[in-house]
Amino acid sequence: MKKENLNHMDCRNFIAIDVAKGMCHANGDKIILIDGPVCPKFVEMPKCKFCSQFTNVDEMGIGCCEGFKVKDWTYADLKAGECENFSK
Amino acid sequence: MAKKLVDILAEKGMSLNLQYGGTAPAEMTDREIKKEPFPRNKKLRDIYFQTLSSATTEFTYWYNRKFKELEGDVMAVRRAASLKHAFAHTTPAIYPGEKLIGGKAGYYRGSFPMPWLSEGFFMAKEDELYQAALASGSASADEVSTFGAGGGNVTKSFGHVVSISGKYGIRDTEVPVLVKLAREWVGKSVDDVGHKYEQMVPEYSIKENVMRSVICMFDSGYTLPQGREVINYYFPLQYGYDELIKMCEEGKAKVAGRPDGDGIAGMDRLYFYEAAKLVLEGVQAWYLNYAKEAKRLADTTEDKAQKAEFAEIAECMEWIAHKQPRTFREALQMLYLIHIGVLQEDAISGMSPGRVGQVLNPWFEQDIAAGRTTEEEVLELLESHRVKMTCIDCFASMGVVAGVLSSNTFNNLTLGGLTRDGQSAANRLETLIVEAGITCQTTNPTLSCFYDEKLPEEFLLKCIECEKTGTGYPAWMNFRGAVEFMLKQYGPEGMTLEDARAVAIGGCLETSPCVWKELTLNGKKYWVPGGAGQPTSVGVHFISNPKVLEMVLFNGFDHRTGLQVVPPHNKILETFEEVVAQFKEYYATIVDCLATTNNIQHDIWRKHNMAIYNSLLKPDCLARGHHIGNLGYRFNATFNIESCGQINQINAMAALKKVVYDDKKYSLEQMKDAIMNNFGFKKASDIGSFSLAAQEKRDDDTGKYDEIHSDCLKAPKYGNDDVYADSILKDYEEWFCNMCHNYQSLYAKPMYSCQISVSTHGAQGASTLATSDGRLAGTTFADGSMSAYPGTDRNGAYALFESACCWDHSQSQNSQMNLKIHPSAVHGIEGSKKLLELTRAYMRRGGYHIQFNIVDSKMLKDAQEHQENYRELLVRVAGFTQYWVEIGKPIQDEIVARTEYEGV
Repeated sequence: MKKENLNHMDCRNFIAIDVAKGMCHANGDKIILIDGPVCPKFVEMPKCKFCSQFTNVDEMGIGCCEGFKVKDWTYADLKAGECENFSK
Repeated sequence: MAKKLVDILAEKGMSLNLQYGGTAPAEMTDREIKKEPFPRNKKLRDIYFQTLSSATTEFTYWYNRKFKELEGDVMAVRRAASLKHAFAHTTPAIYPGEKLIGGKAGYYRGSFPMPWLSEGFFMAKEDELYQAALASGSASADEVSTFGAGGGNVTKSFGHVVSISGKYGIRDTEVPVLVKLAREWVGKSVDDVGHKYEQMVPEYSIKENVMRSVICMFDSGYTLPQGREVINYYFPLQYGYDELIKMCEEGKAKVAGRPDGDGIAGMDRLYFYEAAKLVLEGVQAWYLNYAKEAKRLADTTEDKAQKAEFAEIAECMEWIAHKQPRTFREALQMLYLIHIGVLQEDAISGMSPGRVGQVLNPWFEQDIAAGRTTEEEVLELLESHRVKMTCIDCFASMGVVAGVLSSNTFNNLTLGGLTRDGQSAANRLETLIVEAGITCQTTNPTLSCFYDEKLPEEFLLKCIECEKTGTGYPAWMNFRGAVEFMLKQYGPEGMTLEDARAVAIGGCLETSPCVWKELTLNGKKYWVPGGAGQPTSVGVHFISNPKVLEMVLFNGFDHRTGLQVVPPHNKILETFEEVVAQFKEYYATIVDCLATTNNIQHDIWRKHNMAIYNSLLKPDCLARGHHIGNLGYRFNATFNIESCGQINQINAMAALKKVVYDDKKYSLEQMKDAIMNNFGFKKASDIGSFSLAAQEKRDDDTGKYDEIHSDCLKAPKYGNDDVYADSILKDYEEWFCNMCHNYQSLYAKPMYSCQISVSTHGAQGASTLATSDGRLAGTTFADGSMSAYPGTDRNGAYALFESACCWDHSQSQNSQMNLKIHPSAVHGIEGSKKLLELTRAYMRRGGYHIQFNIVDSKMLKDAQEHQENYRELLVRVAGFTQYWVEIGKPIQDEIVARTEYEGV
């Protein structure tokens, strides 16, 4: 995914405070807006959209999760840090 | 320019008497007591002040996915497995500087929807939400910095954020997810299934009209089906999660396939134990995910102090995921996360920590004695607890969140009271809890002190010091009154005097049944109190008493909606006694249809959405092998009937009696004509103010109603030790408290009366015509149930107390009295003693509850005009403390208008 399409919510160093802003752990826990450009210290956050088992994504970001025994829909921005079947 | 009522009255030499006992200083007076939190907590609280209420679908998604996968399984197990799945997959968020960690969702002030309870709102707003999501992204990031008015409420969409209900913000990419999740619950949610069956009660059409006319504000079974109760932290604190899981396994082995004499629910015990085990495993995984995240942060942090703190957090979380906590800090962390965990499984307000100072005392006492901690460290942790509890949001519909909760979640912490053997239960830790309430002023946990003559003076004065911060906490409740109510209501379920003494406050001031459990720490035994009852403030929600009286006067017809709400009585109402009798008859009709329909909603809830985590925490679910829905709790007679606006109803009845029936100055038809024409005034909504004094005359008014309005205002009023009005109140209370017992909850237990308004006196006032006490259409009712209508208590606080105590408060779960006092009236130590004596006087007369707003009304008016300067201003509403900027205008107006006492 191109970096210009990413926001801070896609970064592992970002701790969201609310839907608009959060703290950047890589830059001294400074409060920044989510929708600003990401920086060189960007570390990808595990999310469905970065998972190899996320398929058939529609224009709303909803696709199929093939990572579990029972397949089901999921969405691109779902965080997957605790998902046992997340894979790159 | 249209004339305001206050000016009209002034011309006539009358006043609304909004000050009593002197005149307030001309200059705005600030509150006397001001302290600051520890820097760590100041920083964390400052973040809260800048934080938007934020929703996410993460927990919802994982729950929903597993639930679908387990179609056909036993419902309790299916639900528990879904909760486990969601707990285990939720992303932990830990904020730098925090010593206490964890939250409902991955935001500082996060929450998530539960479409399995109710999905109708999202479906109704589907198009609107989609449009907002499609239009997102066009605004600049600069817009983000324009928040402020409304506190953390996301009042409108901006950037990539979509506003839901003017309260929550959600990222635009999650809107399609929200709608998709909601669609999957259409026809299956508690709301939908309950609605299908509630329509089968013969009186359903009346119920529908009652709701549309806002005689009742809310359904009960799918809105906030749990809460207003006291949680019980005992089992995890005593045994730890590993041991509890083992107990569940043993329980399964013991009951599998054996009904043991119970042919209806005996077999269900296997499923409950399995469900409890699954939820406990989910909670463990959730804790361990936090431990893992803390380690990750420790590894990536350069700051040595912060690195060490992350490591400490990881160690703490790893330990309490399995075992009994060893230290005060671990116990507090566990207690807080138990609380949050329970809130994850249902839409809940008012889940109250109860007597935390007594629950945590074993760890505090032993840590202090062993030198493992200091009081300073404990105070810092207690402040952190306040910040974390204030961050709790409840995702519910706009009507519920704004109309009842005023964006608050009412997590009430109880202080004082007596021990199991009848001695003062106040302890040093409770003093520190009060101190934390002073140094770190936040909305939650709000504090309530159970007053008893045995409480030490020093402790009571500490509470008074806290009161003088102006936060409105602690509220004062009458311990002896609570014990009497407990024994009356729960005696038939086996409650003893010792049990009754474990009582604590749930929600705003819902007196809730609790029990003592024996806790062992390092070989030493302690009796600790904790909740043992079902939710309260469930059943029949908020009946607008003035609106019921309106139905009596207008033959059951609601002019606002054009509905014939209840069958016409077709009576001429020739005597006042006939008016009262018809009021009682209509009231009974309304309660009956609300009780039956809400019983069905709750029955669907217990079958489809029963509590698992909350159940296993409370005696005697684990012992009996039954969840809440199968009467696993020790005490189950908790459903109630709530009233609102009763002081306006009493005053209106007094005025009718006086000017129509006794003096015969006006006919009933003349009174009804004046009411219909709002005594010649505009609608409150047209002028945008909801207090009586600010109302304006209509431009075309001829003065036709001036005299009758003046007579109505001058008629006897509650709050003045005047037997004319007070005898009507006494008659009403004796009838109301008893009539509630005529109705059964779904658990076949008698209901009881609950007399608090929360925030409903704004919305229900808005939908009610003028009343014969002179109150004008659409204006807010008097708050609570024992507070005087603003400006009508003309003889001082002690006269108000005499009026309030003309009936036996222990007949009811509660009563509610608010008093607004100017800071100068209670200044200094002498002022503190006066305030304590005032409180004591009310308690000794048998008053159940009193709370104070110690604030200069001028400050509140200034805060209405300059919200941006008052983000931190806290006020007491009706049973809870809230940030001024997060309260709706009708309630703000009502608080401004309350009589301000200049001396006590």
